Amino acid sequence: MLDMLKTPEKDLQLEIAQLEARLGDLRSQLHVNYTTPLSSHLETKSPWTMSSELYKNNDSYNTFQSTALRASPLHALLLLSDSALPLGSFAYSSGLESYLAHNKPLRTSPSAAFHRFLKLSIASIASTSLPYVLAGYRHPETLETLDNDLDASTPCIVAQRASVAQGRALIGVWERAFRASFAAPGPSTDAGARVAAGAIDDFADALKSNLEVEEEYDTVPKGHFAPLWGVVCRAMGLDLQQTAYIFVLNHAKAVLSAAVRASVMGPYQAQNILASQSLQDTMMGRIKREWDTQVEEAGQVVPALDLWVGRHELLYSRIFNS
Amino acid sequence: MRQPAMPIRSPFESSIAKPGQGNVVLSLLPPNNPTLTTLTYKYPLKLVPRAPGFVPTPEPDALSDSCPSRPIHLYLLTYGGGLLPGDHIEVSIKLDPKTRMVVTTPQGSTKIFKTEPNSDSGVSVIKGHRKKMPANDHLSDMSQQSLDVRIGREAALCYLPDPSVPYKNSRYAQLQTFTVDAAAKGNQRSSLCVLDWVTQGRTSRGENWNFHFWKGRNEVWAMDDKTGKSRLLLRDSVILDDESEDLGSDSENESLEASEEAELKSHSLHTNTPPQQAGLVPLNVIQERTRPHGVVGTLILSGPVFDSLGAYFMHQFTSQPRIGSRNWSSTSSSAPEPALSTVGDVTWTAARVRAGFVLVKFGAKDFETAKHWLGGLLREEGSVAREFGEEALFCL
Repeated sequence: MLDMLKTPEKDLQLEIAQLEARLGDLRSQLHVNYTTPLSSHLETKSPWTMSSELYKNNDSYNTFQSTALRASPLHALLLLSDSALPLGSFAYSSGLESYLAHNKPLRTSPSAAFHRFLKLSIASIASTSLPYVLAGYRHPETLETLDNDLDASTPCIVAQRASVAQGRALIGVWERAFRASFAAPGPSTDAGARVAAGAIDDFADALKSNLEVEEEYDTVPKGHFAPLWGVVCRAMGLDLQQTAYIFVLNHAKAVLSAAVRASVMGPYQAQNILASQSLQDTMMGRIKREWDTQVEEAGQVVPALDLWVGRHELLYSRIFNS
Repeated sequence: MRQPAMPIRSPFESSIAKPGQGNVVLSLLPPNNPTLTTLTYKYPLKLVPRAPGFVPTPEPDALSDSCPSRPIHLYLLTYGGGLLPGDHIEVSIKLDPKTRMVVTTPQGSTKIFKTEPNSDSGVSVIKGHRKKMPANDHLSDMSQQSLDVRIGREAALCYLPDPSVPYKNSRYAQLQTFTVDAAAKGNQRSSLCVLDWVTQGRTSRGENWNFHFWKGRNEVWAMDDKTGKSRLLLRDSVILDDESEDLGSDSENESLEASEEAELKSHSLHTNTPPQQAGLVPLNVIQERTRPHGVVGTLILSGPVFDSLGAYFMHQFTSQPRIGSRNWSSTSSSAPEPALSTVGDVTWTAARVRAGFVLVKFGAKDFETAKHWLGGLLREEGSVAREFGEEALFCL
């Protein structure tokens, strides 16, 4: 980071620092306590540990240079962690709505019930989907196989719908928005990113060329979210730790956002949980645990969650799609 | 479409070298005579075949021009009725085209005996263990069972075993792989009905998800015999891990005590204990993740023989009462809300996932409840008994 500041792109760095400041304390707090080897690696590369002078000096806030997009993965990181990223994640509660309906007695202390759910949900997403994110990042060329295997491993229609809708939206965002900036051949594009960009294009073509109808065992590409996330992050130059962390963090954010809209808690309380050390510890713990899990070994650690998600369809009234 | 006749292998051929391995090939000899052309097994595994007199009645709109072959029963047995630490059971079954097999566990539940807590502290032979084994190796402590079934076209497997009952402190992993013929279409597809369920342990001894590790993975692959390529159609994987090894040796006792404490609580109070705040170490990770169920399981249905059963499950699922609905026609102002998570003490879901598979997942209060529920549905629909005989439902 520091050597970059000597380049003429200092302005960009300042502007990025300003962007970062807009995310508030949250992000800087999220990575305070590193105890695992995985996270210490992350810390050294962490783009949000900048010198404090950058925060103070925001003179050049308005001089944005689009040509400098590739200077740092920070920009891509912020784009991908943005809740306004048009993936439609807001439509899914990942089983929270159904969980609340199935555990009515716990509504006496909705906050405690929610804490339990969030923890289970993060453990579950980490054990079922994170290995596919990591595999997508590590081996972008296997995207189609990963997509098939994740589709085979997703036990219910509700979860399948949610995953496919967001995955296809991610392809859409990549094609219409990100590719122009991130897949442009340039000296800074590393080979892995190029392979990843190519893999997304190939997969998108396969997705479009296949009709929706499945014939017997000849299954077609679906566009599941997790492996695509890994590949897109690779194409946009993030490192693996960031990719995994944002994936889990975005999931936590989506669940918390759903909790706010389901009147479980207020927005400040949700931000409080999101910023909390215990959430960070939970997420880092789960990521560390699944870091070397092969996709074949991925599985559901919270069997009850499959039941809640599957039974979402039985809810009389629904405000979410999952 | 005729398959070339399989060369009949000598039943005396002994290719089984490793303990716990078993190998079965079921062929259809002309005109319509199912025969086990291979049946080998080695201690502690025992495989007992049986050809019951049951003959499935062909329906008018029969699946194929010929009438379905008689199902052959295969009993899966282990000496002692369970698995000791370090036991590896490997069963490989091949069903030739048009054959039918019923696999059951007549010994009752698959008991997973505990791994001695001190097995890694220099004791080279575990109490009751069948063979000397290296110490300090969790993997070799683990009981493992693998089942590999290749189902030819128009063949059918009905595998409705008793649940697996992991005892306190046990470790167990099982992998069940089912391979179907990828080239088969329509009514020529292979059929399978597979049940996989696990309970909290011996409830009579107060066990409540107190084992260390239980992992069950079921996979269905479609393999093309010509190209040799296979494709994953379905993977159902459940991992119940108390994550005690993560905490280090110090806290293992702690978590054991804590889980006993939780047991006492659930026995004395009979109420939902308040959930722990995030950030605290949960009392027992597996209890927390399975609550409120005492048994969880999966039923996989696929192929023409089980089409009607799959449709039946889907219908039953979609016609369940809506959760949170009110009975507006009732005069009483507030209809009594059913205990939502425990309608009939069974919480279940069914989905038609892909490639015509119907996946049923369920959680129930206890083994008897689940057994009664599942057995009830299977008997009411009737196609399992019709195609395979009442004995196929032996474990339910």
